[in-house]
Amino acid sequence: MQPYIQGRNVNLTFRPPNRGPVRALQNFDIDVNEGEFLSIVGPSGCGKSTFLNVILGLIRPDSGDIRLRGSPISGPSTDRAMVFQDFGLLPWRTVQANVELGLELKGMAADARRKVSQPLIEMIGLAGFEGHFPHELSGGMKQRVGLARALATDPSVLLMDEPFAALDAQTRDLMQVELLRVWQQDKKTVLFVTHQIEEAIYLSDRVMVMTKRPGRAKKIFPIDLPRPRDYEMRVTPEFNELKLQIWNELKDEITV
Amino acid sequence: MEIVPTPAQEADSGEAPRRSFAARHRDKLLGILAVVLFFAAWQAIFLVVPFNKLFISKPDLIVLGLIDLIKSGALLRDLAVSAIPFICGMALATVVGVALGIVMGWRRRVGLALDPLMTVFYASPLVALSPLIVVYFGVGFGAKILIIFFLSVFPFIFNAYAGVRAVDPLLINVVRSMGGREIDLYLKVLMPSVLPYIVAGARIAIGRALIGVLVGEFFAASEGIGYAIARFGDLYALDKMFACILVIMVIAVAMTEGIRWAERTAFPWRAQ
Repeated sequence: MQPYIQGRNVNLTFRPPNRGPVRALQNFDIDVNEGEFLSIVGPSGCGKSTFLNVILGLIRPDSGDIRLRGSPISGPSTDRAMVFQDFGLLPWRTVQANVELGLELKGMAADARRKVSQPLIEMIGLAGFEGHFPHELSGGMKQRVGLARALATDPSVLLMDEPFAALDAQTRDLMQVELLRVWQQDKKTVLFVTHQIEEAIYLSDRVMVMTKRPGRAKKIFPIDLPRPRDYEMRVTPEFNELKLQIWNELKDEITV
Repeated sequence: MEIVPTPAQEADSGEAPRRSFAARHRDKLLGILAVVLFFAAWQAIFLVVPFNKLFISKPDLIVLGLIDLIKSGALLRDLAVSAIPFICGMALATVVGVALGIVMGWRRRVGLALDPLMTVFYASPLVALSPLIVVYFGVGFGAKILIIFFLSVFPFIFNAYAGVRAVDPLLINVVRSMGGREIDLYLKVLMPSVLPYIVAGARIAIGRALIGVLVGEFFAASEGIGYAIARFGDLYALDKMFACILVIMVIAVAMTEGIRWAERTAFPWRAQ
């Protein structure tokens, strides 16, 4: 069976002005199955986020082949949506208007948008906050809005670029639980970039470790822990064994 | 697991519901008190210092002069004459300044090329060139508009420029990633980002445009409020001269505060 997302020999070099070229991805291969939750961990600057932007269609690789359901990715489309690390909420838009942004860009009428956004806003627990502006929300609430906005266009692939990195530790734990609850409902294909091994294991079906720059897939760990998962799972021996294995693979790539 | 969201900002917490008028408006009353004291001191000083109405006026005479100007209709006529070039000059400055500022911000090279030149113009005492404008364009409407325009265009340029540069590239990517086209970037990201900067620019520009009106009419007019000030000065009618200045002051404060109010009302999404 053909993988849902397939990357072969993806190469990408940034050529920033006034500086030397930076090789971000080199011979990067990836296979993602439909409905799979795949996390990518790797050292800072290894090209994880760059790769998400390639899938999103914002960055074109220099060479290589990247396909979604067999067709090459040529640009942004509403079948893929990103949840950004710094939320990326438009500050002049209310919660509701932010959630409806993608629908508005598709040209959907206001009452039809409302029918989509309202259940999403309720699902993320922000009913009653529809008219609030981002500056009135906590970090966790902002990222719920970011998640609802990404889900509003009903994409088949959800890209998450360190979505919880800007949150405090407790909020982060709760958001992970929340994300799994949401994901469990319709099992979208998720590509989740993180620095935190524990977060990657807790959420994922598979965890991919990347090498340092230029980034390649180094090793993939299947996470055969049962679902639904709860917080207690994090203290089981199996969980800790995986944590240790992944850390051993990752630590050689990290230079301080 | 139940997650209960908590608003980041609590509503005003248990403040005493009834406070005296003075307590509630203490900050503003302090400011008003200083203004009142200033005029009282101005009035009172002539109890000690000899008063010569050829060199100075005092508040009671100014008020009488003001009433006189209002009754005769001269004040209203002069204000109406001055309002037209003020509005035209400001409108022209808004259109040109905003357009130029946005291009400077959006096209990096245009910005780099024009920034120093514009800074030089902004910092230079353009008022000093007013007599030249009169020489070139004669006494009248055109010269007035040009002087007002040159004085008030730069806050628009620099604020629009700063506004565009402050646009968060992440938000551009957000809209692009959702299939937004070029026009969506302008309407949904650029415009709302820049608008508060432009309005703030207008607040600065108004003060400068008023100076433009007065200076323009000192040099390039035979009517208008600036001309009236100059003429009353020449006639040693200092009570009326000060009355006109007072009116300009009130107008300037009213317009500036009006824009402040508009900023608070139009941009509720900005954190206070």
